[in-house]
Amino acid sequence: MLLEIEKLTKVYRTGVRANDGLDLSIDAGEVFGLLGHNGAGKTTLVNQVVGLLKPTSGSIHIDGHDMVARPGVARRLCSFQTQAQVPIDGLSPRQAIGLIGQLRGASKADVARRRERLIDALEIGEWLDVDAARLSGGVKRLVAFAMAAVAPGRLVMLDEPTNDVDPVRRRLLWGAVRRLADEGAAVLLVTHNVIEAERSVGRLAILDRGRVIAEGSPARLKANLGTELRLELVLDPRVTDTPASPFGRGVVSAGNRLMVGVPTDAAGAAVAWAESLERAGVAEEFTLGPVTLEDVYVAMVGGVSVRPAENEETFDASAA
Amino acid sequence: MPALRSYRLLVTWQAMRKKAYLPLMAAVQTLFTIGIVLGYPLLFPTIDQTAIYLIATGAPAVSMISVGLVALPQTVGEQRMEGSLAYMRSLPVPRLAYLLADLTVWLAIVIPGVILGVVVGAWRFGLDLQVSPLVVPAVLMVALTSTCVGYALASILPYMLTVIVTQAIVVFVFMFSPLTFLPNKLPAWLETVHRLLPIQAMGEVTRGTIAPTQFPLPPGAFLTLAAWCVFGFAVTYVAMTRRT
Repeated sequence: MLLEIEKLTKVYRTGVRANDGLDLSIDAGEVFGLLGHNGAGKTTLVNQVVGLLKPTSGSIHIDGHDMVARPGVARRLCSFQTQAQVPIDGLSPRQAIGLIGQLRGASKADVARRRERLIDALEIGEWLDVDAARLSGGVKRLVAFAMAAVAPGRLVMLDEPTNDVDPVRRRLLWGAVRRLADEGAAVLLVTHNVIEAERSVGRLAILDRGRVIAEGSPARLKANLGTELRLELVLDPRVTDTPASPFGRGVVSAGNRLMVGVPTDAAGAAVAWAESLERAGVAEEFTLGPVTLEDVYVAMVGGVSVRPAENEETFDASAA
Repeated sequence: MPALRSYRLLVTWQAMRKKAYLPLMAAVQTLFTIGIVLGYPLLFPTIDQTAIYLIATGAPAVSMISVGLVALPQTVGEQRMEGSLAYMRSLPVPRLAYLLADLTVWLAIVIPGVILGVVVGAWRFGLDLQVSPLVVPAVLMVALTSTCVGYALASILPYMLTVIVTQAIVVFVFMFSPLTFLPNKLPAWLETVHRLLPIQAMGEVTRGTIAPTQFPLPPGAFLTLAAWCVFGFAVTYVAMTRRT
């Protein structure tokens, strides 16, 4: 594994335990997602890898090098897009990407070649020579990504790279992230955008209160939820009693939305049940689709009420 | 030389980041120095030649100190707040190169004022200065020391405290530091304090090299400055490399 993190713990002087015995490993060529709420400990983790923070205990190795003992090596081996927007006012994207590429040790010619490819891939050529002070937040974010990718280290860490980026260029950005991995870098992607992460990462870890509470491929994590489909009901706001799920799967409610786990072979019954709720005026509309990583995430991390599934016997198919 | 290459690239980065304001900052700093040279004598109904010499040769030191100990710590504090210092720290760049690059840009802002201040003073009051070649190391030493100490302040203090402390430094440097007057005008206790602080030494090396015929150059002054410079640099270096 290119990046190996073992039993990493970070306790701030305030007593906050931001990372609590984390174990993670990422291989070259892999896009690894780190998901979690604000304050889950994601940024603390990447700041320790790049040598800005010192772990309280535990170890971080990149390609066999001890990053805790040799933070200088860490800075050479990692390129980093920080969560906060790097102020580059006064510089154009061409200058900012070019200078950072050279500061990372690449030759001027290599930097120019890679910069051109990144600019084309992200379709930001029209802003190439505009002062960053006049750029939108989204374009600045893409420029910051290009600054991290123009002379990438063995490990590229991207902290919320898609913030403020428009939907079309988000897709381009994900393509560029994938190419970084295809070229041999390990990519650590920090995000709380679960839906996007599902499409972009090979493996991911969900972080909660400084601990890894789940790790694996999106498919595997979804399989662990024990259901294949999710029925989402938008309930009439006047309804006070949440209808009981007849499918023996977990029920998650968020406001007037109800998410119900449904086995694939009960798809017809689920539609019928939802239609009956619509006719009864309990539900305003419903959608049935495959379980998403967001369902897994919400079920694991919470933030909304999660109720245990009702008994299957309570479902009366004839009523549908 | 990777360190030299980093230094050159960082100077370009810093200069480009400030390019919209660099000429303006240099212009204001020049006006500030000339303003002291021309304005201070107006405070006195009559003024002797020694006082004129003191003002004309002290103004460059006041200007350099105001940049190094006031403007620079405030800017570095802002950079810490907005996260650009942390970003720079995540790059594979020697810390020394980063500090020297910053210093170079600040020197570019302050030097035109130092030169023009002296020229205008000599012209306005008909001073015979006979500037010594030692003025080059003297000016570099004053700028380097005030920059290093200023950097150290901004590195260890929270931003708001940096702003407050630098405001206090302004008052102290302008009103109670022997730059445009001799130390014996101060109360004895403050004279003693100034023997320990670097400000008096900054004034001594500046006036002792700009007007060597008028003022002696105390040999200990360079040593005092060197000690403060090393101290400021060490504090800054530790603050920049420290991982909390």
